[in-house]
Amino acid sequence: MKTLIILSGLLMAMFSQNAMAQHGGHMGHQQEALKAGDIHPDHSLYHLDAEFVDHRKAALSLDDFKGEPVIIVMFYGNCTQVCPILIQDAWRLYSSLDNSAQAKTNVLAVSFDTENDTPEVLKNYAEYEQLDLPKWHFVTGKHTDIRMLATLLGVKYQKTGDGNFAHSNLITVLDIEGKIAKRVEGLNQPVSEAAELITNMLTELN
Amino acid sequence: MRSQKNIFALTCVMIFVMVAFMPEIASSQTVRVFVPAGSFHSVLPEVPGEPIQVDSFYLDKTAVTNEEFVSFLEENPEWRRSEIPSIFTNAGYLKQWKSDLDPGYENLGKDRPVTRVSWYAANAFCAARGGRLPTLNEWEYSAQLIDFENEKEANAFSAKLINWYSGIDANNLGAVGSSEIENEYGVEDQFGLIMEWVDDFKPLIAEDLSLDCGTVGRMNTLGSVYSYAASIRYITRMSFNAKITTGMVGFRCAYNTPAPTPESQQGESL
Repeated sequence: MKTLIILSGLLMAMFSQNAMAQHGGHMGHQQEALKAGDIHPDHSLYHLDAEFVDHRKAALSLDDFKGEPVIIVMFYGNCTQVCPILIQDAWRLYSSLDNSAQAKTNVLAVSFDTENDTPEVLKNYAEYEQLDLPKWHFVTGKHTDIRMLATLLGVKYQKTGDGNFAHSNLITVLDIEGKIAKRVEGLNQPVSEAAELITNMLTELN
Repeated sequence: MRSQKNIFALTCVMIFVMVAFMPEIASSQTVRVFVPAGSFHSVLPEVPGEPIQVDSFYLDKTAVTNEEFVSFLEENPEWRRSEIPSIFTNAGYLKQWKSDLDPGYENLGKDRPVTRVSWYAANAFCAARGGRLPTLNEWEYSAQLIDFENEKEANAFSAKLINWYSGIDANNLGAVGSSEIENEYGVEDQFGLIMEWVDDFKPLIAEDLSLDCGTVGRMNTLGSVYSYAASIRYITRMSFNAKITTGMVGFRCAYNTPAPTPESQQGESL
């Protein structure tokens, strides 16, 4: 078992070097060849075998972002009080990165209202918030997948009798292997530490 | 002529779909029970004194068995004991099994509920079956749908429950359906066999509650047959995390109404 872990670590190092040398294009291929499960570190969220869909109706899974940091925030569209603040917090974090870091950092705003937040609704939401940006994904999916992601992140949510959701306010940063690197809990929290962390992650890559 | 051809094609598709789905239905032997919408008094109400409304849903008649879980693992190797990453479980996952796909039926029994599965594995199982875990409110609502003839009978039942909760023997579980406790729609064993995972086992509303001796007392204000036993369940669940695996926790799945059937799936694909 131990040898396997070491071996997979080695493989990963090899492939990430490869990917950098060849730059982008072939990365998808290599991911296919190395099917998820064997090579992800034990605590990587890439183990979540779930296909989500974003506001551009593009299918995505977490390991699509391998090699780049990801900012994840969970919210729902009909939430008019707290969620816009939460989304703005994610924007505050993203916009505090310099341009080159922004180009390599992904933001997933994942809705837990799987009944109402269709890709169309999320598209409107993204446009309304002026956040329909290339690296931003407003995401929905199957209830079981969304609940699984929330549980992995430690985001609690519960539908209340009036159709709203009680939920935690949390921004999570995943490192380039999909491991949780930073959690910012609560609204209007300082994001400088998280921004620094992302910047350092990307500097180490270069 | 053309419409006849279409009908012929449709019949072929339907037969194909029926044949394709039939073995699965036959082998899994799961019976889903329709639970109509209603309301109940929770020990953790959103608004004190107000009942919680629950929409209609389907619930497995019995808990998922060892045999059913083996079928799931055959199809989904990533959830086998040797493969599952530690992000989804602690070290006790299916610990009592002989090997990845062999529970050792001579000791564990085919028809006994699978236990020592983490919440993640339970959630994945239900998703693979086209369902999900029941929400905490759905589960509790279904559990209290029992009619008693009189108060004496109700109290006797309550006493039996409390007795059971205080000494679940995880090493000697009965087969599913063996508790002889059934709600009025035919959902079996919600008590008397194992405790069960639910979708939202740690309700947000419980965030502020600390787990001290007074908690049960504070929850137990409804004075109903279920409230004391329910308090024990809520508090036990709150102490769980999604990775734990214990011999007394298994699960069953729930399904939205209308439940996905081969026919409706076909309808969508056409």
